[in-house]
Amino acid sequence: METLAMLLHGFYISIMPANLLACTIGALIGTLVGVLPGIDTISAIALLLPFSYGMDSTAALIMFAGIYYGSKYGGSTTAILINVPGEAASVVTCIDGYPMAQKGRGGAALTVAAIGSFIAGTIGVIGLTLFAPPLAKAALAFGPPEYFALALVGLIVLTKLTGTSALKSTFMAVTGIMLGTIGLDSLSGISRFTFGIDELDRGFNLSILAMGIFGIGEILTVMAETNTQSSIPSIRLRDLYPTSEECRRSVAPIFRGGIIGFLIGLLPGPASTISSFASYALEKRCSKNPAEFGHGAIEGVAGPESANNSAISATMIPLLTLGLPFCGGTAILLSGFMIHGIIPGPALITQQPDLFWGLIASMYIGNLLLLIINLPLVGIFVQLLKTPLNILMPLVAVLTLTGAYSINNSVFDLMWIIFFGIIGFFLRRTGLEPAPLIIGIVVGPELEQGLVQGLIICNGSIWELFTRPLSGTILVLGILFILYNTISWHSKVNHLQKEVRS
Amino acid sequence: MTEKIITLFFLLGSIVYLYLAGQLTFGTLQSPRSGFLPILSGVTAVVVALVLMFNQLRSKKSIPKNNVDWTKFIFILIGLLFYITIFNVIGYFSATFIFLFYLFKITDTTGWLLPLMMAAGSSTVFYLLFKYYLAVTLP
Repeated sequence: METLAMLLHGFYISIMPANLLACTIGALIGTLVGVLPGIDTISAIALLLPFSYGMDSTAALIMFAGIYYGSKYGGSTTAILINVPGEAASVVTCIDGYPMAQKGRGGAALTVAAIGSFIAGTIGVIGLTLFAPPLAKAALAFGPPEYFALALVGLIVLTKLTGTSALKSTFMAVTGIMLGTIGLDSLSGISRFTFGIDELDRGFNLSILAMGIFGIGEILTVMAETNTQSSIPSIRLRDLYPTSEECRRSVAPIFRGGIIGFLIGLLPGPASTISSFASYALEKRCSKNPAEFGHGAIEGVAGPESANNSAISATMIPLLTLGLPFCGGTAILLSGFMIHGIIPGPALITQQPDLFWGLIASMYIGNLLLLIINLPLVGIFVQLLKTPLNILMPLVAVLTLTGAYSINNSVFDLMWIIFFGIIGFFLRRTGLEPAPLIIGIVVGPELEQGLVQGLIICNGSIWELFTRPLSGTILVLGILFILYNTISWHSKVNHLQKEVRS
Repeated sequence: MTEKIITLFFLLGSIVYLYLAGQLTFGTLQSPRSGFLPILSGVTAVVVALVLMFNQLRSKKSIPKNNVDWTKFIFILIGLLFYITIFNVIGYFSATFIFLFYLFKITDTTGWLLPLMMAAGSSTVFYLLFKYYLAVTLP
């Protein structure tokens, strides 16, 4: 009952003109980001961080959240129409969405994707509303050992789930932890790895780093790669109506996708991408006609598109209740919180109830707005896809550099942003995923603080970290996860060796 | 080849980091000091980078990637560095105008008048947006 009352209060906050406007702008920008294949969600939020300085913190965070979940709506448009996923989470949508478009059912696929995203997105936000407050209350009992255990196990799970090699993800996460140690040590006050450069005392500015690796890195990649833009089909309003058969076949995948997406969203890693793959596999298994998959099955669009939207809401739970972001999107959202002086975590719900509940309520509104915006404006988005990247990218580059300069009015920051941009470019070329690096930088200081304080509390006994009920359970789960993966890897290698021998 | 060079770069970076971390105090398990996590993470990074390097040297598989126009890449980098160099010298508006015109040309925008006009229009919009609307102190 208390949750409902607070949620209603949140709606009151989120329908205030400034917040409603921020939500609409966020949803629109998010859709655009999803539609335009050259820019991803993390880059877009990173680019807009400096612009939010003058905004009220609640409005700014509502806008960032809008971009975050809005991009998943837009991602399906390019996947369905031109077989180019606007977002990693929409890769699966290409498999059946594009064949549907080739058969002239692209409009129906877009509608089912939008409605599915709305329903599943709302399921995810309901889950967030119900689970976040009790988890935040429980997290108040967390001490340094528990935070250490959570951060460590989160990073371990993340390295396995990023989609690239676990070794590469581990390396990126550890590199992130190392970069996170640069600057003043918060526990001893000693300057570490700063080489006497005063600007480095505060550590790397997360916004600058993210704008460099994701923003400039992406710009360099798009501008230097010799790709050609695909031809875009036109969509008329009447093409958007799905048939009653398509509607009937989409209902169950949407709800299944909503639930599976929410559950996967609670795990560390790129939840929206993983959930869309999981949902696709589930739909194929549940289907009476699995052979249709890959040739334009509507279930192959409805399930994954629903799952990735629901997952997005669930990823907000660890961020808002524990202050721990376990995917690239929430890591960059955390920097949005931090530049407004807000530290998410268990105390957020009690210390900043307006912001907490306003943000959650805005996600209900944002989901509805996205449905309203997306369908009628699909024609405009299709036109936007025709924007030549050789014109768009230089403009985005100036926007990024000016935004970065405005943070501290420092050319020094611009040098860093270019340096990290080059790193980001080469990381993409070598298949090293930059998201674990950013998460490592964000989670690293939490990990260090938890480890050092935890060891002091436990009088140096690592065993005691295991005997505390909460930290012990989390660490044991982490060990079981490693054991399970080692055994399955070992059996896979054995199986391959047997195959080679035979 | 690029993969191996990048991994080597990260391996060397991790070794330098570990060396510098070794100069900090490690402490003990009862009382960890400022070098505690840096040394642990440095050791982990060096080990993982070595394994990664070894795997890459052994494997013949390469990551499928799009072709890069390296000349264009170098020119974009030169443009970026030139921009931040002249940024404080000739001011935001002029620097942005030159930078945009340069980028439009090297990204194959046809003609001279169109890129010139787009650069002038965009730099004016950016200047007004940042200077007056967002009240950013620009050089």
